[in-house]
Amino acid sequence: MKPYRIRAVILRHVYEVRRNANHITYMVYWPIVNIVVWGFFTLYLRHGDRLEPGILSCLLGAVILWGLFNAFQRDMAVGFLEELWSRNLVSLFASPLSVSEYVTGLISVTFAKALVGLIVESLIAWLFYHYNIFPMLPTFIPFILNLALFALTMGIVVTGLIFRYTTKFQAMAWSFAGILMPLSCVFYPLRSLPAFLRPAAWILPTTHCFEGMREAIERGGFSGLHFRWGLGLNLIYFIAAVFFFRVMFESARSRGLLVKME
Amino acid sequence: MLVTVERLTKTYGNFTAVDDVSFVVPAGEIAGLVGPNGAGKTTIIHIMLGLIAPNAGTVRLFGRDLEKDREPILQRLNFTSPYMAFPVRLTVLENLTVFAGIYNVRHPAAKIIELLERFGIGRLKNKPISRLSSGETTRVGLCKAFLNDPELLLLDEPTAYLDFQAALQVRDVLRDLQRSRGTTILYTSHNMHEVQRMCDRIIFLDHGKIITTGTPIEVTREILNEDRDAPALDEVFIRIAGRQPDEAVSN
Repeated sequence: MKPYRIRAVILRHVYEVRRNANHITYMVYWPIVNIVVWGFFTLYLRHGDRLEPGILSCLLGAVILWGLFNAFQRDMAVGFLEELWSRNLVSLFASPLSVSEYVTGLISVTFAKALVGLIVESLIAWLFYHYNIFPMLPTFIPFILNLALFALTMGIVVTGLIFRYTTKFQAMAWSFAGILMPLSCVFYPLRSLPAFLRPAAWILPTTHCFEGMREAIERGGFSGLHFRWGLGLNLIYFIAAVFFFRVMFESARSRGLLVKME
Repeated sequence: MLVTVERLTKTYGNFTAVDDVSFVVPAGEIAGLVGPNGAGKTTIIHIMLGLIAPNAGTVRLFGRDLEKDREPILQRLNFTSPYMAFPVRLTVLENLTVFAGIYNVRHPAAKIIELLERFGIGRLKNKPISRLSSGETTRVGLCKAFLNDPELLLLDEPTAYLDFQAALQVRDVLRDLQRSRGTTILYTSHNMHEVQRMCDRIIFLDHGKIITTGTPIEVTREILNEDRDAPALDEVFIRIAGRQPDEAVSN
């Protein structure tokens, strides 16, 4: 991998962010809407002493971390779709740029954009809803990294599907995270799921991130168990996703789809 | 040989796009890859860029196997086609800066300005691609193709969207650049007059097969089966395009 090529991919997407208002919408507008709606909901719950403060903190923490996961997965797929919509793929892949260099550049920009969303949501939650995530960040960071790694894995899978099946799969860019949401135990603990669904939830790294986050908020400690499970599952899925992507890419190359994508 | 294509075959189901094609291009030559629609020209170019995997055969560029040494090979060549595009919101300068970065061009700003001026679109540098005409975008593609001073240039119908005068200007620039740098060019076009003027040698394709190769006059004499004094590739083209697939195969 050549750093100058990765830098060029980053530059390409930075230019796109500067020129395309949709990115500002994704990066700032939706996170604001999201946290404002959930913030009002927690205010409503807080007024009548309906819930313990710990649960409200869990809710807002979950909103912020799910926002990060969703943004990372979506922006990675949309970043790739932008190449496809602008028919730039042929120029890019007819150059010495490798797929791994392209993906690394895209991940760097996507991570920065997702962090902007995270910071915006965290600041609004702190200023308007008295929920300060920042003291919790050192405990959350391992789970945030796990979430980012799983979002990256999902981004690679969706990008592979788009390579192979072109824009027929583009809706997955926005909806893939949503498919995982019910089993990821974002807003409720794993034990609240029906028993038959718990094994399926357990094998999702997202579940361990949100379980770990709840444990940190409720008991103030770091859950090594959930971190290790999340990381182990992530590594397995990441390796599988890279393999899946290679198969999809080679299949697209073999079928001549790289030059026909629209 | 700078380009060695051996027994290249590409099929899509029952359809054979490229059928056992072999040819070589020596360094410094302008070779024309011509033929009617569906002859396999663009597929060959795309295989030579690693964008399409062949079913059989090999492509060796600069003496190296494309499948094994993709990155160092692609660093030394470039490509343009009017059918490729650029991100439309980015300006001409931004798009070319990105590609200059990919090719690790030294002094990219100066290089880009020089090429934009040479292709007559210096005034457009700060315009987004969405505001350019097809002809102007084609010229941006040509600037991209020369960014890395390629030793081999693959040009797929480079003047397709250009008016007569612009096409003439682009041909002159291509000729100048080829003479001054000794660039090897593989050129596809449907404009037979252009091919006649530009190319040292022709590789004529039909239905995925090579029909004939040679200088424009050699190809004219062989296909028309007449002792001509001057090349007449448009007549050759009409003759070949009018053939049935089984006639092409039998040749």
